Amino acid sequence: MHRGQAFRPFASTGRRTVAAILLTFAFFSAVSVGLSVWSTSRSKYKASVLEVAARQRTLAERYVKDVLLVRAGVPANPAYIGALLENSSETLLNGGMAPAVNGDDDETKLSAATGGQIRAQLKQERRLIQDLTSTGAAVLGHGPQSAVPLTAHEHLTMTDPIERLRVLSALTSNVSLNTARTIATANDRNINNLITLQMILGVAGFVASLLLGWALIAATRRQTAHFRSLVTSSTDLVLVFGPGGCRYVSQSVATMLGREDRELLGDAFADHVHPDDLATVRTASAHAEPAETVFRVRNRFGEWRHLETHVTDLRANRRIRGVVLNARDITERIRLEEQLTRQAFYDGLTSLPNRALFRDRLQQSLARSGRSNSALAVLLVDLDGFKQVNDSLGHDAGDQLLQAVAERFTETSRPSDTLARLGGDEFALLLDGAHETHAVGVAKRLLVALEEPIWIAGRELVIGGSIGIALHAGGVAEGEELIRHADVAMYAAKEGGRGRYEVFRYDMARELGELLGLEHELRLGLQRSEFTLHYQPEVNLENGDIVGVEALLRWNSPRRGQVPPDRFIPVAEATGLILPLGEFVLREACAQTARWRSEGVLPEKFVTWVNLSGRQLSGAGIGSVVRSALDQADLPARYLGLEVTETALVVHEGPGWERSQKELQALHEDGVRIAIDDFGTGFSSLGQLRHFPVDMIKVDRSFIQGMEEETKDAAIAANLVTLAHALGVLAIAEGIESDGQLASLKGLGCDLAQGFLFARPMPASQVQHLLSGSFGDLIEPTSAVA
Amino acid sequence: MRRLRSRVVRLGIGLSLSAAALAVLASCSSGSSHHAAAAPTVRVKERDFRITVAPARVRAGTVRLVLRNQGPDTHELLIVRSSRTTLPLRTDGLTINEAALDRATVGVIEGKAPGTVEEILLHLKPGHYELFCNMAGHYLGGMRAELVVT
Repeated sequence: MHRGQAFRPFASTGRRTVAAILLTFAFFSAVSVGLSVWSTSRSKYKASVLEVAARQRTLAERYVKDVLLVRAGVPANPAYIGALLENSSETLLNGGMAPAVNGDDDETKLSAATGGQIRAQLKQERRLIQDLTSTGAAVLGHGPQSAVPLTAHEHLTMTDPIERLRVLSALTSNVSLNTARTIATANDRNINNLITLQMILGVAGFVASLLLGWALIAATRRQTAHFRSLVTSSTDLVLVFGPGGCRYVSQSVATMLGREDRELLGDAFADHVHPDDLATVRTASAHAEPAETVFRVRNRFGEWRHLETHVTDLRANRRIRGVVLNARDITERIRLEEQLTRQAFYDGLTSLPNRALFRDRLQQSLARSGRSNSALAVLLVDLDGFKQVNDSLGHDAGDQLLQAVAERFTETSRPSDTLARLGGDEFALLLDGAHETHAVGVAKRLLVALEEPIWIAGRELVIGGSIGIALHAGGVAEGEELIRHADVAMYAAKEGGRGRYEVFRYDMARELGELLGLEHELRLGLQRSEFTLHYQPEVNLENGDIVGVEALLRWNSPRRGQVPPDRFIPVAEATGLILPLGEFVLREACAQTARWRSEGVLPEKFVTWVNLSGRQLSGAGIGSVVRSALDQADLPARYLGLEVTETALVVHEGPGWERSQKELQALHEDGVRIAIDDFGTGFSSLGQLRHFPVDMIKVDRSFIQGMEEETKDAAIAANLVTLAHALGVLAIAEGIESDGQLASLKGLGCDLAQGFLFARPMPASQVQHLLSGSFGDLIEPTSAVA
Repeated sequence: MRRLRSRVVRLGIGLSLSAAALAVLASCSSGSSHHAAAAPTVRVKERDFRITVAPARVRAGTVRLVLRNQGPDTHELLIVRSSRTTLPLRTDGLTINEAALDRATVGVIEGKAPGTVEEILLHLKPGHYELFCNMAGHYLGGMRAELVVT
């Protein structure tokens, strides 16, 4: 019926239909009453007309009689009768007041005649009356009959005037009668039509009412169906609670929970509500309070759905008599919120809490600590050598490494501790209620956890860590400050060598400040060419010839003056500045050696030794750096020697070590000499040394300096020299300062020596003068002794 | 008079019916003469106060009479076989004495409102027929005509 139309609210359609029904009834009633009124008035008119028409007959006959009476000499008034006849005839035709005759009847008011036939008959009657009265007048006046004009087309053949008069009177009476009959017939026809019409109207009204009523019922049904479908098919959930529990659940509730209605109705509903929410749901369904709540319901699959619910109290409503819960399933929204929370507070790579969440947890712990005066500790862990893994094996390997480390740390820490990844290779651990012993124990366990090699992309990686510990004994404190303290301690641990932990002390802060300042100045110094090389000659103990120099880095800071290497080298190592510095040393040493060579002052088999830091060695591409320095200086490789500390060799095991070993081997094959520095201080095994391409072993100065007093040192030095010779490499003694030491070393058969006894480290220009000479005079006496 | 008229009307209807039956018969039996269809038509017009008949002469047999009242008054029509030129009047001196002419009356059409047309079938023997309206004064007023059947 309203196909294609938009939905109309029930009230409007219903009202319209009811209005249409009422209007239809009103219309049919009005038509019916109107018809009745009209027919009644017609009937009255008919009666009046019949009365007047009947009187016309009487008057026509009386007129003839009066004419005859007058003619016989009896007094009568035919003219008056004639006038009445004419008057009545005119009234019948055009309406008006029909005159009363002899006062024995009332005046009758008539309306004008309608209908062509009736009017034609009435006009004929008027003509006949005129012919009658004019004939009557002619009879009374003895006028000639032929002079009387006949207007109604009569064809009167009789000559007797009285006879004519009678015929005209009969014609007049007859037409009056016929007119009355015509009117009566028309009226009967009208009344018949009226009855038919009334019947049709009645039937039509009945049918129309039926149709409208049906439309009203259909509209109501449709609306009901509409609302029912709104309720049943809507995703919004409707539940009605009353005495005896749940009384109604919409289809959507059953669909969402995948349960039958009977599983939900009555007391059964409570079985599916989360125990923590049950009290709330009970209160809401019984007392309609709170007006809004969220509760969880378990669906058929055991999954908790979160329902956001509006509670409406319709207990007073006769049709409902219950508390209505309009609910929405917001499970997905809550999941999304949880996911967003995860993204905001958890690290995507390791799934550990991120810096923001760590800060938050720390704040909470500190707040607790402020109240209960309990202790806590913050541990910051920075991985050593992570950057190298990232640089050499790619970010994927780096990510895997971080995940593996996170896993190990998680296994090591308690669930109550907060382990977080603060970013990069920096992890943090918050220990609630931890004092120093506990915190240190955890730090040690973390370091142990890192000791086991980690397999990434088919390679075995060994990674270290530096841990800074900040302790809070209890009371009020700032979270940020605690993190900063842990950071300082971690720096200190790094500075003190890798794989260590440090507990924060207040004097560290000052050191760190200096350290950071130093780093900045080192960077500036590198840019401003504040670095120079000094060279310390190395002497052949057999003949006193200078066979090489060790290149040593010097920093002439405009602010600090001459800075000793042991002050700035650890900082450069810790900050990575050692790499550009090392490169500078290599280039400068090669360039200087090349200059000496081109000037022709360089002895045969001369070697300029350059120190390589462990970091340079473990970083990628030491081979290419060395070769590029040699190429730039156009210096044959045999003039360059690389000194590698024993510690660097030992620490850098794993793939980095293997690679650096290969690179060193390649350089060695090119002609570059290799020496092991500080030999005897590390823990290198002989096996390692055997596999390493070594030309020379440097005996650490500590043994040389103790030789004269400590027999133990002397014995070690002697053994080291013997070892070197056993390996088929040269031995050189560092830090030789006295003739006694020189004599001892010569006695041990040590090949070379360097130290203040011969020369301090000096600028290149001064070395040049020495190169042509020899320390033979220094050597001689001893050899004489020997 | 009314009883008589109704009898005459019945006769007319009977004639009509028999004519219809004849027509049905004719349509069924080929070769027989088509009485109804072939019946000559006599058109009679009535008006105040004259009757015209066309044609005024017709062959004996079945005749189809078509009456048209042109008004303005109501008129009836009587068809009477009579050799006399004047018909007998009733004692009122205004209308024809129908009872006296009962046997001679071959057709009656009751009073018809102006504008109506009526059709009847008549079986006419040869002779002289008078056609007239017998409403009061109408005959004397000039409503008469002759039909000659040969």
